[in-house]
Amino acid sequence: MANQETQVLDDIIATGRRKMMTLSIASLAGLMIGASAPLAKAATASYTDADILNFALNLEYLEANFYYLAAFGTTIDKPNAASMAAGALQITLSGTVGTPGTVSGGSQVPFTTIPVASYAIETAVEEGKHVQLLLTALGSSAVAQPAIDLGTSFQTLATAANIPNGAGFSPYASDDTFLVGAYVFEDVGVTAYHGAASLLTMSANLMTAAGILAVEAYHAGLIRTTINYIDPTGTSIAGYTNLISTLRAALSMAGLLGVAPGPFDANPDDYGLAPFSVSLHGGANAMATRLTDADPTNVIAFARNTTQVLNIVTGGGAVNGTTVVSPAIGVFFPAGMNAGPNGFK
Amino acid sequence: MDKLSALIKIGLSRRKFLAGVGASAGAAAALNLVGCGGNSTATPTPTPTPTPSAPTDADILNFALNLEYLEAQFYLYAATGSGLAASDTTAGSASPYKTVGTVTAGEAAAVPDLTGPQQEILNEIAFEEQAHVRFLRSALGSAAVPMPDIDLSFFGPLAVAATITTAATGAGSFNPFSSFDYFLVGGFIFEDVGVTAYSGAAPLISAAGVAAGYLTAAAGILAVEAYHAGYIRTSLTGRAIAAGSESAYPYLGAANLVEDLRATLTVGNSAAPSTTGSVETLLTLPTSLTMPSSIVAASAANAVGFARTVNQVLHIVYGSPTVGAKSGGFFPNGVNSVFATTTA
Repeated sequence: MANQETQVLDDIIATGRRKMMTLSIASLAGLMIGASAPLAKAATASYTDADILNFALNLEYLEANFYYLAAFGTTIDKPNAASMAAGALQITLSGTVGTPGTVSGGSQVPFTTIPVASYAIETAVEEGKHVQLLLTALGSSAVAQPAIDLGTSFQTLATAANIPNGAGFSPYASDDTFLVGAYVFEDVGVTAYHGAASLLTMSANLMTAAGILAVEAYHAGLIRTTINYIDPTGTSIAGYTNLISTLRAALSMAGLLGVAPGPFDANPDDYGLAPFSVSLHGGANAMATRLTDADPTNVIAFARNTTQVLNIVTGGGAVNGTTVVSPAIGVFFPAGMNAGPNGFK
Repeated sequence: MDKLSALIKIGLSRRKFLAGVGASAGAAAALNLVGCGGNSTATPTPTPTPTPSAPTDADILNFALNLEYLEAQFYLYAATGSGLAASDTTAGSASPYKTVGTVTAGEAAAVPDLTGPQQEILNEIAFEEQAHVRFLRSALGSAAVPMPDIDLSFFGPLAVAATITTAATGAGSFNPFSSFDYFLVGGFIFEDVGVTAYSGAAPLISAAGVAAGYLTAAAGILAVEAYHAGYIRTSLTGRAIAAGSESAYPYLGAANLVEDLRATLTVGNSAAPSTTGSVETLLTLPTSLTMPSSIVAASAANAVGFARTVNQVLHIVYGSPTVGAKSGGFFPNGVNSVFATTTA
């Protein structure tokens, strides 16, 4: 019994939600009964809703600071005229768990078009509210804002994605490059909340996570739609989305540690804006845009476990071969994420 | 104990809630699908004995399937001029609903004069809603309900009810199949509703359903509906910005009238989970580089997406504020569901 439990727990630790979802209810019931045994690995597996929400908070710190810097030229904790005029929340960095860090890089984008500027402002305001919501919900359990790199991180990722002149890429240079920078985050946010939803135990937390998942998908749809309108033929920034998605998929698959993808986590688990062929009502094929990032069979958005997400936002820092590296360090999180004792980093 | 036991416990608590309501008030009569939104792990409840009349995961997925039939028919007609293949509409062998409905096409037709990229966008959404129909039918297997009767000519009366009488031409005729811009308003009617319907349903899925992957599937479809809604709202906003004013692009205002109508139809029933009443976010027209857009439909306080109860969704798709309505609007003979009647 213990061996079986250990194996099940190992699977859960290794692969997160995906594996658990495939377990029969009987296995789950057996696990429940046996979980009082003082297994070291059982303790590792008994993360709480707070651990999951803190993982989300790290990502929201990242997103919110990116959008605040792009839209207003400031970080979430330092209001300026632009952020106040937009009604963006000033965030008191009240999280204390872990090591506080600083935000480096980033500057206000010299927007020239109203659609992109207005979307940046809206998104900044909304991501700020997500940070505040999670900080408030977590209270004294909230993690501190970790060190966040919003400068050279983009050049590192752009280079890894083979974007032309990636070493000179800046998401703060223009409306177009801002959209590419935003693209890096939004679909990842969707997959992270999707992966987390099934792990939450409190109904109220699930409702909140589902609601934030929806907002991240609205944002992702917004970004993809706007890029499609600007570059419908995929010759510039829409083409970059394909490169970025290819990189994200590779990092995500590495985060699976050799375990086959689950039913909603096909390989690849990420698609850029390149059109694809679809069959409608059994008739002839037609070309379609890809404004939705989802599996092409069931059209259900992808879900990622925390290791997959960490491996993306750290540019491969979460995995060494088939071994998890914790804390994962790199790219956007140069000192890693902050987490509680059983949390994800 | 640990999160797995808690997961099971919370699922059982939800079952108990649903079962209790079903037992006390009759099958679906008083079902308030958000009533279990509280902290069910803090006060553990004993394992219940589900009553035969308690809604099942299949009931919840089948309700979603009715909505997906509607969306798929709308988008397929708009993209191609014809609807779902007959094989995608049949009754599962164990379904109590046997009759496959028909589509009243009305003016439904392929939207004319689309650019290449616009056509590709319609193709994508049509394909994706068709895929959701097929996925849900596959997941439900023999329990899948057949397509109910669907009336795609309801857009006209809905527009009249929403007082959309002067959009674009001033002719007073609202036909979502007549142009790309009208199509956007037509899609707008459904998309935010789809998002909120899945948000409302996700926490109701049982522990067994969670283990079977239904929750992650529902959450994943929720995300896709939100991608679509983001697309529709971004397009309406972007085209209004390009036109320069609401009067030059009346479709933005038309979409907001749809939101007003949706709110009216659910008046008195709008207490959404984790929000304070309104589940609508009106579109705005930014006219400078320092104004925000209003693409995301979410609570103003927390930027958390809304949820709607089954009852609220029914009021909208039936086009009726009446309690006890069994049919109407897009579903002239009701949905094929235990949740077919508006209850509050």
